[in-house]
Amino acid sequence: MGAVKNMVKGFIYTAIYVVTSIVIPLATFTWLRSMVVEGFPLDFEQQEYQSVIFWLTAFGLIISGCAFFKYSSPKQSIRKGVFALIQVLVNCLYLWSYKFSGATNIEFAILNFGYFSLNIQQMVLVFMGIYFLTIFLKVYDIIDFSINREKIRENRMKE
Amino acid sequence: MRPSRVFRLLFRIFISLLTISVTVVSILGGLSAVMILTNPDNIGIDPGDVEFNLEINNVTLAIESVNFTLPFNLTNAGYFNLENLELKIDIAMNYSHIDYPIPGANETKEVQIFSNSTNFGTITKGTTGNFTFLGDTFIMGNFPNFTSEVNWFRGPPAILFYVNLTISLDYSLGMHSLSITILDLPAGGFP
Repeated sequence: MGAVKNMVKGFIYTAIYVVTSIVIPLATFTWLRSMVVEGFPLDFEQQEYQSVIFWLTAFGLIISGCAFFKYSSPKQSIRKGVFALIQVLVNCLYLWSYKFSGATNIEFAILNFGYFSLNIQQMVLVFMGIYFLTIFLKVYDIIDFSINREKIRENRMKE
Repeated sequence: MRPSRVFRLLFRIFISLLTISVTVVSILGGLSAVMILTNPDNIGIDPGDVEFNLEINNVTLAIESVNFTLPFNLTNAGYFNLENLELKIDIAMNYSHIDYPIPGANETKEVQIFSNSTNFGTITKGTTGNFTFLGDTFIMGNFPNFTSEVNWFRGPPAILFYVNLTISLDYSLGMHSLSITILDLPAGGFP
């Protein structure tokens, strides 16, 4: 019964990560493309847009996959710890993909007017700092789960 | 609960608070940028309001003084202060150059006569900043010789001015930077 519960939990979290790491960013970029600045429509270069979308979708799918394995693993298991660490590392790459795909410095042409640019590099770096702290937490988890393996198993049996 | 888990829980709470606060600041910052940019009334900058002073000696046709002022206002309709508000102005002068490139031909030339930026500091949230850009550091070496090089029979006006404007600012406690550039705005002519 516990295994089925874990699988369901895994699917639910996969869905949550698909929404937060793929659907919301895609919707935001699509919305930005339809924005009107000073009465003029924005024009986002198609190739740049495709590049941003590609990297966000690629890393978003890997994060969602990791989320499934993490959340479907038994509580405080080494497997859960390892997948949680992989997920954080992929999350860092996901954030970094914003930078190397050009999404941290987006330039929109405003037709017959000029252009508008938005730089979110500082924001991405702050988030990366938080993920760096999370890496410590996940490494700590793996060590803790390994050292206290027997104790964790005993507790799991009691439950 | 094991002591190691208590320590982990405290660290986890710290990271969660950090993540939530940065996420909230980012979302509100993005919304603020949209609120400011989508309402044309928030950015009040019109090259038609430029007061241009060009004094030319009637005898020698040499430039004695040149400067301009551009009043503008910006309403901060967002949730955070606008920081490092900077206005950069480039002015190009378009004229018909007599006997250029060969005698008898008058080619239209465009030279950059002004390029400068001014930092206007911070506009606190919910307020409107009224500023005046003063331009008095013209690139005098780029001006043509008005007696021998400008074809005064073109036009009128014989001389046309075009402006590139760039407004840049930092937002969300410095996490977002945005800029808007307006290209080739006609800014009048002379005479």
